[in-house]
Amino acid sequence: MTIGSDQVKYVAKLAEIGVAEHELPKLVEQFNRIVDYVAQLDEVPSDTKAEPFLAGPEATPLREDVVNSAPLARPPAAMAPEFADGFFLVPRHGAMEDL
Amino acid sequence: MTAAAVAKDVGARLAQAAGLNATLHWSAECLEAEARRVDGMSTQGALHALPLAVKDNIVTIEEPTTCGSRILEGYVSPFTATAVRRLRAAGAMVACKANLDEFAMGSSTEHSAYGRVNNPLDHERVPGGSSGGSAALVAADVVPAALGSETGGSVRQPASFCGVVGVKPTYGRVSRYGLVAFGSSLDCISVFGKTVNHASRVLAVMSGPDPLDATSVDRPPMKAPAAISSLAGLKVGLPREYFPSDLHPGVRAGLDRTVATLRELGATISEVSLPHSKYAVPTYYIIAPAEAAANLARYDGVRYGVRRVGPEGDISSLYRATRGSGFGAEVRRRILIGTYVLSAGYYDAYYRKAQTVRALIAQDFHQVLGANGVDLLLTPTTPTPAFKAGEKTEDPVQMYLADIFVCAISLAGLPALSLPVGRDRGLPIGAQLIAGAFEEPRLLAVAALLERTLGGTEEVR
Amino acid sequence: MSWETVIGLEVHVQLLTRSKMFCGCSTAFGDPPNTNVCPVCLGLPGALPVPNAQAIRLATRAALALGCTVQSRSVFARKNYFYPDLPKGYQISQFDLPLATHGWLEFDSPERGRMRCGITRLHVEEDAGKLLHDRVPGKTAVDLNRAGTPLAEIVSEPDIRSPAEARVYLTTLKQILAYAEVSDCSMEQGSLRVDANISIRKAGDSTFGVKCEVKNLNSFANVERALTAERDRQIGLVESGQRITQSTLLFNAGTGQVRLLRSKEESHDYRYFPDPDLPPLVLTQAWIDEQRGALPELPDAKRERLVMAYGLSLEHARVIAADRAIASYFEAVVAAGAEAQAAANWVMGDALAGYNAAGHFTVAPARLAELTRLVAQNKVSQQAAKRVFASEDLANPSTTSTLAIAEKLGLTQVSDTDALGSWVDEVLVAFPKEVERYRAGETKLIAFFVGQVMKRSQGKADPKGVQPVLAEKLRA
Repeated sequence: MTIGSDQVKYVAKLAEIGVAEHELPKLVEQFNRIVDYVAQLDEVPSDTKAEPFLAGPEATPLREDVVNSAPLARPPAAMAPEFADGFFLVPRHGAMEDL
Repeated sequence: MTAAAVAKDVGARLAQAAGLNATLHWSAECLEAEARRVDGMSTQGALHALPLAVKDNIVTIEEPTTCGSRILEGYVSPFTATAVRRLRAAGAMVACKANLDEFAMGSSTEHSAYGRVNNPLDHERVPGGSSGGSAALVAADVVPAALGSETGGSVRQPASFCGVVGVKPTYGRVSRYGLVAFGSSLDCISVFGKTVNHASRVLAVMSGPDPLDATSVDRPPMKAPAAISSLAGLKVGLPREYFPSDLHPGVRAGLDRTVATLRELGATISEVSLPHSKYAVPTYYIIAPAEAAANLARYDGVRYGVRRVGPEGDISSLYRATRGSGFGAEVRRRILIGTYVLSAGYYDAYYRKAQTVRALIAQDFHQVLGANGVDLLLTPTTPTPAFKAGEKTEDPVQMYLADIFVCAISLAGLPALSLPVGRDRGLPIGAQLIAGAFEEPRLLAVAALLERTLGGTEEVR
Repeated sequence: MSWETVIGLEVHVQLLTRSKMFCGCSTAFGDPPNTNVCPVCLGLPGALPVPNAQAIRLATRAALALGCTVQSRSVFARKNYFYPDLPKGYQISQFDLPLATHGWLEFDSPERGRMRCGITRLHVEEDAGKLLHDRVPGKTAVDLNRAGTPLAEIVSEPDIRSPAEARVYLTTLKQILAYAEVSDCSMEQGSLRVDANISIRKAGDSTFGVKCEVKNLNSFANVERALTAERDRQIGLVESGQRITQSTLLFNAGTGQVRLLRSKEESHDYRYFPDPDLPPLVLTQAWIDEQRGALPELPDAKRERLVMAYGLSLEHARVIAADRAIASYFEAVVAAGAEAQAAANWVMGDALAGYNAAGHFTVAPARLAELTRLVAQNKVSQQAAKRVFASEDLANPSTTSTLAIAEKLGLTQVSDTDALGSWVDEVLVAFPKEVERYRAGETKLIAFFVGQVMKRSQGKADPKGVQPVLAEKLRA
């Protein structure tokens, strides 16, 4: 199965990871290598039934509705790449819905 | 010995071991602060003054947590992982943050953005991964124990390569709160120890449910088991799929020694089968990347970590430049694979299928372990001893195959450990013991007895 | 060409909890930005979600109030996309296995009378943060206080056939959820948000046309206006021979127009999968029954009971049952001794005006009940009663007698025939010419005499009692 570079570019777009043109050929090759490898699972018929496996508890625990958030040792301002007046800042345009 | 004295000694060892490149952050100031805290405790805890290296994907407040990545360069967490809090409350000290494959993705620690780690027994070889830094520090006697994390074998495999004990608990046994998520349904904070006893004691303190982790299981904390002197009545199974005819001769010799010792101690050995074993690695490389793709979406340069903006100057170019330059090649590959297998049109063929196969793999284990089967399984931990740096970095799949014996256990959520059972031309050989869910006490008791009897540094052939 | 409009509504309501859906941060509105945050809702490395029990309770009650089947096992799923108000790069929601399915909402369509709109599903999820554009020029500011607030998403079947119907669906939904104390349901405050899907087809067709989504609706009235505009746009396109492409449109309240935001090719692939950080949500039948027990009498049932028990008209029952607090107040006033219709009139009139202005009922039920009795006994005229009702004294909680207040204000009236008789006598003596004219046949003058008696009594005479006394004395 061959996944073309357009498809890999599309996946990179979904994942918001910038890929330079010169990196693309090797990435596409390795991507195909991995997909071909995991496609071994095709050997297992699609209609195979198995008791669904859950890694942890069978049911999620719930917490009571109490305000008690874990305190932060340092505030958002100390961690943020760009912060002013209490807000995180990002560039204004591009893929923003004008709401 | 006072904690202060221990801390000073650890500091000297860390300085001396700098050539391993096994640490990402440590300082004399932090060590002293840890020691002051411990020496100031009114009663001595179960782990009094025990120095621990902590893999740098487990968050602490005092030092950065980079996950071996550029994208978190300089990031200092504002909260501490539950496991670390519990260890500190028992008197343990965090000695340093240890180097790792970026975001725990790798089997050699060659994928760290901060340089690879040297295997203390042979600097040209890898210590294994992704918890290679922690393994190396224990092997080099810098610390007697260390925290790592497992998603697909990342503590057992390096334990085998470095000749130390590596224990993965049952999934849900130790809180994941504060472990930077990679494959959430697989991730387990795990332990390295110079001896089984070190690992047991650390695991006992860390274990137990955490209200901050919905996947932690509601069972009382594990108790470190008492020593046993015989394995009479113990049934050990050898899954035939894990003993291929072309198994590395040094690994085979190490396992033969182990089987012989088990028999001497009174255990019964039988052959069993785990028929879906061959699908473990491909299944893992669908599920783990899928979960990782979502777990690593938060690294977007908006609220913390590194930020880069592309020439267009808009929000998309912020995302793409930050993530494009911040993630290394292996992490990028896995995020893309993970995104692909979840995407429209491919979900059923890949992700849903992988979940089905995972269930079959888990079923295999449940069928052989238990009242009508065997108590423990024994396998090699790794197909070969530590390989040379650069040997497997060209083809990602070659690197994935390093996990061929450890991966299935992670998929089934079971506890397992790697025990050093000898050396092959100086390189450590590890044997893997696997138990049923929550059977860590028996697993550790058997391993401790084996450890006392075997002599884990003897040449196997 | 006769067109049929097909509308489905997706409503998000903020659940009335103190803390967020997956962490213990406060949901309080209006706090300084990025102060109600923690590792979980900031999406910091290593943080994990744990669901809020009260959010699940409220969502379950909402589902039961809407006739849904509550699933004993539902699953949280990750909805993956990148946006600055979404800290983890995914929203924890529910996808394949939601909390509840197969409900309905009954309401009165302006065009079709009593009808049911199906409710496909109700699920829980977390809210995103808030974005403020151009607060700093060229930048967008991100406030994550709201990120993680619990939401219930309610998806209707495409059973709605007009923009006006859509509006009634929404007002009815709000009424039910407010009754159940699940949410404030205020579009203006953002605790209720609506996305509408609309398509057209030829009347009589059973297949669905291409649907478009309309967003950015901030009031029920604007929902109706936006859907009207979009319906007209679609009809216009088709009638001029063009095709409708599946799109998302934004409504501009100022212009009343919709404009294209994105078309289908650019729509998101959310890559839903079960969230591995959260085991399934398992609810026992006993727990679900407990939530059903916690529901109050809902609007429809209350309306029916008001008609049956108090003899109110359906229209009056509707007004009173519109708000649970109003209905409670009405019943308290009747229980304190008021006649039902009188109580209804007061509640729908002056009391409701006071409630809307102050946010609560200003006059205690016992005091209003007493007022209605005073009016019934003619001790206070209807007009004077309004002034008594509005007085500060009556609103004072330590007041124990309406009569005392009326007397203090000098608003009681005299009905005693002897007293009335003496004022009438005075007036008749004062206006002999008018008396003659009346006895000569100008019977309209009775109003003049009543007015004079009122003047002479300084308003205290009960006009209803004056008339017969006057009539009798004038006859003589």
